Amino acid sequence: MSEVRLPNLGEIDEVTVVDWLKKEGETLKTGEDLLEVETEKTTFVIETPQTGQLVRIVKKKGERARLDDLLAEIE
Amino acid sequence: MTSWLRSSEKTLEAVHLPLGHADYATTYRLQRRLHALRSHGEIVDTVLTVEHNPVFTIGRSGSALNVLAPPEILQQEGILVYEVERGGNITYHGPGQLVIYPIIDLRDQGHDLHRYVRNLEQAVINFLSEVGVRGRRHQGLPGVWVNSYKIASVGVYVKHWVTRHGLALNVAVDKAHFGMINPCGMEFEVVSLNELIEQPLTLEEVATGLITKMEPLFGWRFTRANPHKFWEG
Repeated sequence: MSEVRLPNLGEIDEVTVVDWLKKEGETLKTGEDLLEVETEKTTFVIETPQTGQLVRIVKKKGERARLDDLLAEIE
Repeated sequence: MTSWLRSSEKTLEAVHLPLGHADYATTYRLQRRLHALRSHGEIVDTVLTVEHNPVFTIGRSGSALNVLAPPEILQQEGILVYEVERGGNITYHGPGQLVIYPIIDLRDQGHDLHRYVRNLEQAVINFLSEVGVRGRRHQGLPGVWVNSYKIASVGVYVKHWVTRHGLALNVAVDKAHFGMINPCGMEFEVVSLNELIEQPLTLEEVATGLITKMEPLFGWRFTRANPHKFWEG
């Protein structure tokens, strides 16, 4: 099991999840675009950290996340 | 004063690509191509400056519901609508507006989205100050304002820490076009630089001035490139 957490994007308080580019159950490959978050009118793409299956999306579209928050689990 | 946000003292090579007048879709494809090249380290930081035909672009947080004008009016005015991947809601680009698209690697700028947006705004504020206009920020509302009027908008996309999209500064825009949208999903009025100064500036002059203000903030030394070679391929 591998956790996807919000990386350090600089001096920001929180981001909003604007879109998941993969669905739960989908097979992921390292480096593929996984989700988009937004802060301060900036979209930031978070990539898949490792190959596996997206078993759980923790922060859904529209939800907010802070540094190191759990976003999803990959198995 | 201009170097307080710099992440390192190293000077970075950068290219300014003044496109003059170019349509939105063609410039968008160019941005994507340059973004891929920058991501692979095949080019240095590159900053496009351009003026577009009238378009409304809707960002990731936006909705077509914020286009207030009916389709027949858009058609009559020749305004196209694009959904794009940048952050933010709906905005307008058109004649009399300088659009700046930095295709740059933020790993050289401290891996910091906040600092990047603040530096874009600061370049505008410093440039405005030089021509006698006091631009400022509004807490929680990215962009640059003169009193309660918006003069510059920000909307950015970052992948692999490389940016595209950027900033739009109103120099002499058609405000009737802005009136056809609910910009950023909220109500405010826009202002153009040339309304605020005695001697109107051309977009070229504004582009040169702004690029000069970006240099120390981002630690760049610009060379100017001929756009023709970039349109090929």
